[in-house]
Amino acid sequence: MLSRSAQGVYWMARYLARAGYLSRLLELQVQFLVDRSVEEIHFGWKRIYGCMKRFPPPGEQFLPETDEFALADAFTLADDLTFERSNPDSVWSAIAGGRENARQMRHCISGEMWTCLNSAWLRMRDLEAVDIWRTPEVFYAQTRSEIHNFVGVADATMYRGAAWRFMRLGRAIERAQLAVSLLLAQIDLSRRTERRTLGWASMLRTHHALEAYGRVHGIEMTPDRVLDLLVADPSLPGSVLATVQAAATELEGLGAGPGVEADAAARRLAGRAEALILYDWPEASAPEELLERVNQSARDLHDAVLGAFVDYAIEDSPLR
Amino acid sequence: MDFSLYDFDPAIYDEMFVAEGEPREHCRAVVEALRELPDDDLSTIQERVTRSFSQEGITFTVYGDEEAEERIIPIDCVPRLLALAEWRELEAGLVQRIRTLNLFLADVYGDCRIVRDGVIPADVILGCPQYRLAMRGVSVPNDVWVTICGTDIVRTHEGFMVLEDNLRVPSGVSYMIANRKAVKAGLRLLYRRSRVQDVEQYGSLLRQTLCELSPGGRPDPCLALLTPGTYNSAFYEHMFLAHEIGAELVEGQDLLVNDGFVYMRTTSGLRRVDVIYRRVDDDFLDPLVFREDSLLGVPGLMNAFKRGNVALANAPGTGVADDKSVYAYVPDMVRYYVGEEPLLQNVDTRLCRRPEDLEYTLDNLEHLVVKRVGESGGYGMLVGPHSTPEERDEYAKTLRADPADFISQPTLALSRSPCLVEGHAEPRHVDLRPFVLTGNETRIVPGAFCRVALRRGSLVVNSSQGGGGKDLWVVDL
Repeated sequence: MLSRSAQGVYWMARYLARAGYLSRLLELQVQFLVDRSVEEIHFGWKRIYGCMKRFPPPGEQFLPETDEFALADAFTLADDLTFERSNPDSVWSAIAGGRENARQMRHCISGEMWTCLNSAWLRMRDLEAVDIWRTPEVFYAQTRSEIHNFVGVADATMYRGAAWRFMRLGRAIERAQLAVSLLLAQIDLSRRTERRTLGWASMLRTHHALEAYGRVHGIEMTPDRVLDLLVADPSLPGSVLATVQAAATELEGLGAGPGVEADAAARRLAGRAEALILYDWPEASAPEELLERVNQSARDLHDAVLGAFVDYAIEDSPLR
Repeated sequence: MDFSLYDFDPAIYDEMFVAEGEPREHCRAVVEALRELPDDDLSTIQERVTRSFSQEGITFTVYGDEEAEERIIPIDCVPRLLALAEWRELEAGLVQRIRTLNLFLADVYGDCRIVRDGVIPADVILGCPQYRLAMRGVSVPNDVWVTICGTDIVRTHEGFMVLEDNLRVPSGVSYMIANRKAVKAGLRLLYRRSRVQDVEQYGSLLRQTLCELSPGGRPDPCLALLTPGTYNSAFYEHMFLAHEIGAELVEGQDLLVNDGFVYMRTTSGLRRVDVIYRRVDDDFLDPLVFREDSLLGVPGLMNAFKRGNVALANAPGTGVADDKSVYAYVPDMVRYYVGEEPLLQNVDTRLCRRPEDLEYTLDNLEHLVVKRVGESGGYGMLVGPHSTPEERDEYAKTLRADPADFISQPTLALSRSPCLVEGHAEPRHVDLRPFVLTGNETRIVPGAFCRVALRRGSLVVNSSQGGGGKDLWVVDL
């Protein structure tokens, strides 16, 4: 597969995973606006901004403490995270980035995938702001659902070649990084609040893990158990372990890349992240520190993958 | 579909009607069926066709217009019909013409017999900016210089005429296939009954043709389609064709030349490329030979090509044969190289480089179409009957300043075909661009990208200037 095409498909998947994840976060956050306390609402915004490593727009950095301001403020923040073109991680920017990569790599994906994604993009492009903000949770749910559809259509129609593996690899790396970042933001914020359970239930909802938690642990919810499920349960598709294992599987399926050193590094990093969770996590005294190490491995894995398959030195490559 | 208000004009050739209310023989069944279709149904089909183009992203890019970067070529869902017998006639003319043009190119980059024999003046060829000195003495695989040609054909009461030979990087074939797919889905029963000739085999024919250029006959050659990139107006087509022919869609940055061979950078290492279907103009192909500021090309590509290690389709330098000045000599070329009378006529063309033609052109500006030799896409031209006296005065000044840069032609009454306009049929001017493939043999699918001037009375069919598309049905009725 052409290296640039592989890179395009990889980024397409990363952008769409980001758009889907952020849509889910915002969907839950705008639902909170209806009946949750101001403290909880502020906690949610801080967690999202912490996860995205972004500051709120100027003037919104000192969040007001009254209901009225919290609601008015919410739309500014939601807009910043949803439609702000200068925010490279906004839902709009992420979908635009995913769609643009798909447009350039249409010959590498199935026609059904392209039509599915392009239709979603056209719908979003043609929406009126007033309609979105009347029922924002509907907008986020639909956006998330369209991205789920895209993943399903890919599963049903895409040829299981290198493009498929690069797409899955991109999705896995993106999801691993986002999940770890959100967990770190949650841990950090809960240390600074008196309500130690604040935010953990919504962490489960974000990762579609509420039912799974009930099945595994019953109805009593504790932060430790939630954290354990979201990090180390291999059966939960959105857990950090499941995403890291998915990345390792796709890497294995791709075979060796021409960039020999980077290729070895990629395999080492994927293995290390998996080993950290499998073997160190159960006994970790400082989960935050361990998650930082997983996070670093996932970030380095991205560079190593590109070094192995895309940006390798010409002189390293065999001629075929 | 309501034809009762159809504005039939006996002075203009109508593709569907021979007289007011009287369809041509091969159109009779289709007209009857269209008459039976309620206007609402046809409008719904039209909307569905347009929507499908939007959803599938069948677009072209307009330069310098950020807000509307991707645009759809509007499509009219009423097909234009051509009888199979008429198509055969056209096909024979195209085969003769492409054979001639290939012989001409081999000659002008070889012995230049045609100049020495006084058929074409040397300065017409050597003065042409598309004549590439770098191609002198170069031989190309199978003597095929033009692998893919898109010839613009118009029709008047006098018959088919060639308006332009596009021999460099002709585009539009993806719209031929997309239009067919969309219109066929909309008019299923009518399509089935009309015994329409198929065009969907174009991709496999193109692949076969390109494989025949494989250097040294290497089996199962590696094909690549070289695109200038995503911002090129025809990027959709590049992507579509790469998919159709099973080629990698590459940019210049994906290729490199090592020891006289071309390689592409893949996820499993460097892979040798045998045939490049290039959609990049000559000027940008190789910065070591042509424009040194080109970032779109591949340094060393021409060296690999000259050594016969990679085939380029079309070969560099083919632009000299579709230059608007050289065009005027094509009928003479046919007689010179093939020894036959041309089956397809040219539009009567005057070269303003000749003093008598310049004088005639200046005296008749209000009746003529004047074009710049180096322009395409409908830019830089004056359509005399649609111009104001001030525009003509201004144009005349430019013309006098550099006469060699202009040609003039009579304003043709391009044929018209019915289009769906606000629920009823109205005539609009049309042309067609069939695609001719040449490898070991010449192959043409029975169809074309049919362009239509959607604005009432307009003669300009270019998509960049308000033109649209139609499906061309070659029918065996």
